[in-house]
Amino acid sequence: MAEKNAEKKEWSRRNFLQLASGTAAGVVFGGALYTLVSSGDRVYAEVPVSEGYLVHDSTKCATCQSCMLACSLAHEGKENTTLSRIQILQNTFNRFPDTVTMSVCRQCVNPLCVQVCPTHACHVDTDNGNVRVIDESKCIGCQTCIQACPFIPHRTIWNAEKNVAMKCDLCINTPYWSETGGPDGKQLCVEVCPMEALEFVKNVPSQTDNVGYDVNLREGV
Amino acid sequence: MTGGYTGKILRLNLTNRSVGTIDTSNYEEFVGGHGIGSAIFWDLCEDKAISAFDPRNVVTMMTSPLAGTLTPSTSRTEVQGIAPLSYPIEWFTRSNFGGRFASMLKAAGWDGIVIEGKADNPVWINIVNGNVTIEDAAGLWGKDTYDTQQEVWRLASEAAKFDKWLTVNDSYTTQRPAVVCIGPAGEALVRYAVLLHDGGMAAGHCGFGAVFGSKNLKAISVIGTGSVTVADPEALIDARLWLRRKWGRSSALPYPTTPEAVPPEQATFGPSGCQSCASVCRTRYNDALSNDVHCAGSGSFGVGARGSKVAKRANDLVQRLGVNPYQGEGTLQYLTQLYQRGILGPGKTIDSTPLVSLDKYGTYEFHENFLNTVVNREGIGELLADGIMRAAEQWGRLEEDLDSGILPYPQWGFQSHWVMPQAEWPYSNLLGDRDINEHDFNFTWTIVNRITDVLPADKVVEILAEKTVPYTGDTSMFDYSDGPTGIYSDGMVKRVAWSRHSTRFWKQSVLFCDWAWPSFVVADQPDFKGASPEAEPKFFNAVTGKNMTYADGMEIGRKIWNLDRAIWILQGRHRDMEKLAPFIMKPQEPDVALNRNLYVDAITVPIHKDGVWSYTFMDWMDPAHAYQGTPMYIDETRFEEWRTKFYEFEGWETSSGWPKRATLEGLGLGFVADELESKGKLGT
Repeated sequence: MAEKNAEKKEWSRRNFLQLASGTAAGVVFGGALYTLVSSGDRVYAEVPVSEGYLVHDSTKCATCQSCMLACSLAHEGKENTTLSRIQILQNTFNRFPDTVTMSVCRQCVNPLCVQVCPTHACHVDTDNGNVRVIDESKCIGCQTCIQACPFIPHRTIWNAEKNVAMKCDLCINTPYWSETGGPDGKQLCVEVCPMEALEFVKNVPSQTDNVGYDVNLREGV
Repeated sequence: MTGGYTGKILRLNLTNRSVGTIDTSNYEEFVGGHGIGSAIFWDLCEDKAISAFDPRNVVTMMTSPLAGTLTPSTSRTEVQGIAPLSYPIEWFTRSNFGGRFASMLKAAGWDGIVIEGKADNPVWINIVNGNVTIEDAAGLWGKDTYDTQQEVWRLASEAAKFDKWLTVNDSYTTQRPAVVCIGPAGEALVRYAVLLHDGGMAAGHCGFGAVFGSKNLKAISVIGTGSVTVADPEALIDARLWLRRKWGRSSALPYPTTPEAVPPEQATFGPSGCQSCASVCRTRYNDALSNDVHCAGSGSFGVGARGSKVAKRANDLVQRLGVNPYQGEGTLQYLTQLYQRGILGPGKTIDSTPLVSLDKYGTYEFHENFLNTVVNREGIGELLADGIMRAAEQWGRLEEDLDSGILPYPQWGFQSHWVMPQAEWPYSNLLGDRDINEHDFNFTWTIVNRITDVLPADKVVEILAEKTVPYTGDTSMFDYSDGPTGIYSDGMVKRVAWSRHSTRFWKQSVLFCDWAWPSFVVADQPDFKGASPEAEPKFFNAVTGKNMTYADGMEIGRKIWNLDRAIWILQGRHRDMEKLAPFIMKPQEPDVALNRNLYVDAITVPIHKDGVWSYTFMDWMDPAHAYQGTPMYIDETRFEEWRTKFYEFEGWETSSGWPKRATLEGLGLGFVADELESKGKLGT
């Protein structure tokens, strides 16, 4: 636990430094974590951090894409890897571990997708553990959130059939799966993965590079 | 049709380079995969007695309605047509492969592909959702399977790099195209050339790679971004979670080391599974050598060097050249026997030039030299490329070596792949068209091997008898003794019938992977019971919206099995041909017997003797166990009597093995009866 607290502390310090340079940052107010969204030196919004994150161990991933099929099925009611909010890329001819890329939404402390959405369709769901989600009924299909996602491939997904953007909601809203999702429930990708290469965590992962998200999920080592 | 189907089958004619479609609903009664493939072959291949390399040969590549869904281990493509390996007749036969080809094909909007004719120049097929083009493959011909696939990725996609979202028509994907192709072996018409997809997903048995080669077809690439419908999404999710939560990966069968043992930074390999697999059986290495290799791939070629760097390099070359390692290694074992007897070698009766000395077996140079000799058809390679039966025939050794057993190929030119007394395996091979390569019970015995202390023989046969629908309750199906309820009994008739009908439907039409299904006996469950036969229809019905029972599937499997048999009969099949090689019907010298099966060292099987069930441990590598109490060979007279019982059970004329009209009509195959009758080949 002491180690976890140390991580949090370090994380806060780093993000304060980022604030000084005029980008977004996370700070601690009375023990609660928030992200301050800033423009220049002026802080104009504060976004609470998500109470849940998906982390993964890409060296355990078998690229079976069960998570993708589960995601599409639970959210869209049909099977389509293009409509999955988690993406698994593979190249069988590479050398392990460059055979797999797990592209999972980070529920960023500083969610650019949320910040740029002109209609607040992409928002922090304060009723459900501050998960960053998209309300499709408010989405106007401008794809700004998709362009804003700094990761490759982008974690906000374009649904060309419905002309809306989608993103991982930690299974808060799964019309085709009735178990409780979200930070206090289960996530179907985690549940179906045969390799246990995905895990749900409550603590904020390090936001630097991928080290906080692509972690060791092996038992006992 | 309901959930799971795209509704369309792609029909390609390479002779006139036309692209057409077939409505899947025309073949709905056959459900998918093998069933639809056999029915389409029946309709489109007018003369079924042609050779594999005849341009009129029709190849079908069918998926399952469950491919591309969360159903575990059903992203498989069933390949059928007349294939060149079997001997003496090139039977209409099958093979299948996993990976992500079937699911990508479904996402592109196709339930399968039918290939007719022969291109006048090398071609490859480019499928991008509904757009299908036949492309010039001059630049691909001669390339190995890995280079071919990577080149096709570049040709089929605008992407220079596959690391982000890519535009496909009006949609997007992060995925590379799924490509199935042939290597130099297929181009050279090597009769055991494979179709290969990704690293090591191959339709390996039977030589379909050579059929592609004969049609000048180098590769098929598919990119799909569409949806596969599911009748009851929640039921499918619940089924998957039910399987996962109760059985985990152990719902299935042996899988390789999980990567738990070392920290990630020290891991030298990672797991690899076909799309939607729940068990995962393959491996990718930090040197990328022989990635995705599997069982007979990694274990068989360079068997003397199993698990070593030499074996990995040799199997990498096997995959790149597109050779079936199982036949390759079988060939080497036979050549070794001839070499040891002074018959084969440079300047000997059988001149082995340009092969390097068999003393070098186990070195990379030896295996590379052997593979290149075959694929380039150099010297002795010209005969070896046509399969070991045809080579032995040319050398005038076939009869003698099948009698002594130094050529351990008991049926149709496929080597032994089982250990006596697993009689259901050779029986099924002989009644069918190839080495069945079905591991349902093989794995059961492997599992039982580990738990004999806690699961007595009477309990294991009880579980099996409960699960082998529709023959529920007959434990004699699993008596491996040579007694009255043993391997020549009515129980074994049902046992073989169960395999023939269940695999034709659940494994080859619905395409549940042989390596993962069925789930019979599970070591780490309190009751030792696996998920079959409850699981298979549960998934099938969730996806399709139908109301199929396991037994319903068995009946469709019986129908498909009879349709296949009718095709073989039109190719010349008669009871008189269904003979096992003589060596398997008499006791063997240990040094010969030990060479017969390279892969299964030991099994434990139940036997019923004097009213008591017990286990018998068989170990080929240890003569003390190999001869203990159970028959090492098949008694010809008793087997002949058994075959008569089997034909009666199937409703076939016992003298010819030809199905009777009543049998066929009872299965809705009256049109098949008419065709057989018109050729004078209907059983009476």
